[in-house]
Amino acid sequence: MDLLKRLQHRWYQLVAALVLYGMPLDVFAAVEKETGYDMPRDVSLDGHRITWLINITMWFLVVLFVIMVIWMAIAMFKHDESHPAEYDHGDAGKQIAVALSISGVIFLVVDGNLYVNAMIDLDEVFWNFGEYDDNPETIKIEVNAHQWAWDGRYAGPDGKWNTQDDAITLNDIRVPVNRPVLVQLTSSDVIHAFNLPNMRVKTDAVPGTVSPLVFQAKETGEFDIACAEHCGAFHYKMKGKLTVLSQEDYDLWLNEVSHQSSLAYNPDDTDAHWGWPWKEL
Amino acid sequence: MAAPTDAYNQLQAVHHPPTSFIAKYIWSGDHKVIAKQFLWGGLIFLLLGGLQAMFIRWQWAYPGQPVPVLGQVFFSDSGGVITPGHYTSLFTSHGLIMIFWAITPMMIGAFGNLTIPLMIGARDMAFPLLNTLSFWTWVLSGLMVLGSFMVPYGTAAAGWTTYPPLSGNAGTPGWGQSLFVLAIFTTGTATIMGGVNYVTTVIRLRAPGMTWDRLPLTVWGQFLTAILNVLFVPVLAGGGILLLLDRWFGTSFYVAGALAGEGAGDPILFQHLFWIFGHPEVYILILPAWGFVGDFVSFFSRKPAYWYKGSVWAMTAVSIMSAVVYGHHMYTTGMAPLLGKSFMMLTLIISVPAELLFLNWLHTMYHGSMRKTVPMMFALGTIFVFGSGGLTGLPLATISTDLYLHATMFVVGHFHLTMASAAFLATFGAIYFWFPKMFGCLMNDRLARWHFWFSFIGLNGVFIGQLISGYAGQPRRLYDPFQYAFTEHLLGINQVTSYFAFFLAFGQIFFVINWFTSVFKKNPECEQNPWQVGTLEWSVANPTPVYNFLQIPIVTCGPHEYSNPECIEKLGKDWQGQWETLDGSDPELPEPVSTGHHHHDDHGAEPHASEE
Repeated sequence: MDLLKRLQHRWYQLVAALVLYGMPLDVFAAVEKETGYDMPRDVSLDGHRITWLINITMWFLVVLFVIMVIWMAIAMFKHDESHPAEYDHGDAGKQIAVALSISGVIFLVVDGNLYVNAMIDLDEVFWNFGEYDDNPETIKIEVNAHQWAWDGRYAGPDGKWNTQDDAITLNDIRVPVNRPVLVQLTSSDVIHAFNLPNMRVKTDAVPGTVSPLVFQAKETGEFDIACAEHCGAFHYKMKGKLTVLSQEDYDLWLNEVSHQSSLAYNPDDTDAHWGWPWKEL
Repeated sequence: MAAPTDAYNQLQAVHHPPTSFIAKYIWSGDHKVIAKQFLWGGLIFLLLGGLQAMFIRWQWAYPGQPVPVLGQVFFSDSGGVITPGHYTSLFTSHGLIMIFWAITPMMIGAFGNLTIPLMIGARDMAFPLLNTLSFWTWVLSGLMVLGSFMVPYGTAAAGWTTYPPLSGNAGTPGWGQSLFVLAIFTTGTATIMGGVNYVTTVIRLRAPGMTWDRLPLTVWGQFLTAILNVLFVPVLAGGGILLLLDRWFGTSFYVAGALAGEGAGDPILFQHLFWIFGHPEVYILILPAWGFVGDFVSFFSRKPAYWYKGSVWAMTAVSIMSAVVYGHHMYTTGMAPLLGKSFMMLTLIISVPAELLFLNWLHTMYHGSMRKTVPMMFALGTIFVFGSGGLTGLPLATISTDLYLHATMFVVGHFHLTMASAAFLATFGAIYFWFPKMFGCLMNDRLARWHFWFSFIGLNGVFIGQLISGYAGQPRRLYDPFQYAFTEHLLGINQVTSYFAFFLAFGQIFFVINWFTSVFKKNPECEQNPWQVGTLEWSVANPTPVYNFLQIPIVTCGPHEYSNPECIEKLGKDWQGQWETLDGSDPELPEPVSTGHHHHDDHGAEPHASEE
């Protein structure tokens, strides 16, 4: 019985899915595969900031690690039992100053570079939610996560949330290329995390809380949405699709989904009205 | 005849050796016996947790294929195949078992107990009965863990972090998850008992002359760890109790969203409680290792520990700061930007004392006269894996880079290099080093070296493999990690990583053989001070008599007096025991003596010389 009830509550999703399968858009081509051990292809406007910061830090770390290993190797093979040990407690003022200076320089260069760039990137992009929210160009999407799928919601032509003309999707988020996107996330059961590796960002979907995530795609195509928080036995199956379309294709698609969703609208199905008034950021 | 330390001797009783089997091996108050009990217990759980790791690695190399041989034993209900349900239980209980029932009992329960009284010149822990209770409470918690595997719906499956609402009744029904949470609470109680004991012992029972700046780094590590345990395990215990209330009595401390009835709680509250414990916990599991490494590097480079006070201050600074960095586990929860940025700053700052420790170790071995003994190899291995593990923490400490790396295998590789590999290598180094103090002989050197190389290569292969696949984007905790277009090509690296894991597991056979032959068949007795080092435990016989020190020693110098030209000239050896003077005279009691005089002697038995 429970299952039947659940299906009834989700029927709008079935409708939405059927609608999408009938769409004349070439969106079901295979998602592009990756090779090698690099990060997945970056298709976002700002992902390069994260890629660059991770990579330059990795180079710093490799250099530091190699210095450490060489230092150890000299001690192991040159300063071995044949080498007389120095009786040195290393606590002379000069020695302490050297140790503190080395740590200080590493801190300023490696940690400092991380800190300064992260602060800039967060303020300009990744945690700059207010500016994304105020930008009239921004595409706004509500996502409700649950075991084990992603529900998407677009405000529809009336611009209001949780109304009849909302476009509703299942495991299928579409955005136009070159437009800022602001996603508000929540969950109706356990914690999930909305992970877009090709955009270099992820945010948790927490029940009872709305959390934001921003990105802007610079290429059309299809990309994976992965769940990045353990959410039960089928966590690994919680896979959605992010489709980046041209503006025209996006408008066409949104119109159609909004139309179909409003046809399927049932005012008594309260479970289907999971949307929330847009949270000002 | 009056010894100069009589005032101290009278404060700590000289116990008679127990005669009954139970008093000797089961319900013992002797810190050395309890150390061995914890060691045995921890090794058994290490085997269990290690076996689970192998199953996880099998699943990632051959997703959905039956596990050879062992599959029929452990997954018989599914024809030897690991199901998604099995898998979530496996990685959940692997993490919890390794942390609370393998590393903690071995590194802290066993070696805290063994080393603290012996290295500070005490006859036992401050509270022997509390020590006994601590061990048996831990055993009780271990039985709950084992029991959780046998109840309907199986054991805990919400991840080691046990985040609600998944860890609530709706997410993970059944007694298994509850039992595991209760087991964590129970072992937390045991840890607090041990912590109170360790802290008191170090403060109150140091031998005369054992000033804070003569304390071996091992003791510093254990002391700071004990303080962190006493401060932060209660927070975890409190968080666990709230979770049990949610599970058993329908409260909703952590429940929100559609699952919540009237009055919703906040799942993020649990994360705060968990990580305010959880981040100190990772230092709890590494501070003892830093202590071992700091001492071993000096001992076997035959050189004083470089800037000893700097190391002590660095370890202390890390301990204090460990309480204010925990938010970096929660950057993606939608936390307030100001809070997140503050945690980022603090987390980056904590790398400075860690760098100082590394520099001190490197400086200590440079221009030394290195003896590449087995414990030294393990110490060098610890530095190597902790180096790569610690460095890879930097991009995880930084918010923007963590937006990509969070919850990937990169995180898994990073923390397994630090709190798993470094803790593993340092603990086994400690086993090889202090084996004579426990069993009166050394372990077999050749087998120990095989064990080292298999472990060292295996650990690095496994966790560097995880760093690589995580960098490429592979999310952690996936039953079949190759579901995504961005992970499909990573099967190869996962298989190679798994081969390293099987290699690592195979190498443990050398230890098992060595352990059983050394403990039971007994190798030839070794000399009293086989490593030629100067800390107090080597001034007494192996294995050590029940009362440790017939006369409480007077400490004359620091723990790292090696290659002192004056010592070489006067004593004819390159090390000075902490109980020795350079001119051969009897050590004098340092002034002033504050201990003893204002205590009545009702708890101080006379030393029984006949026992010697």
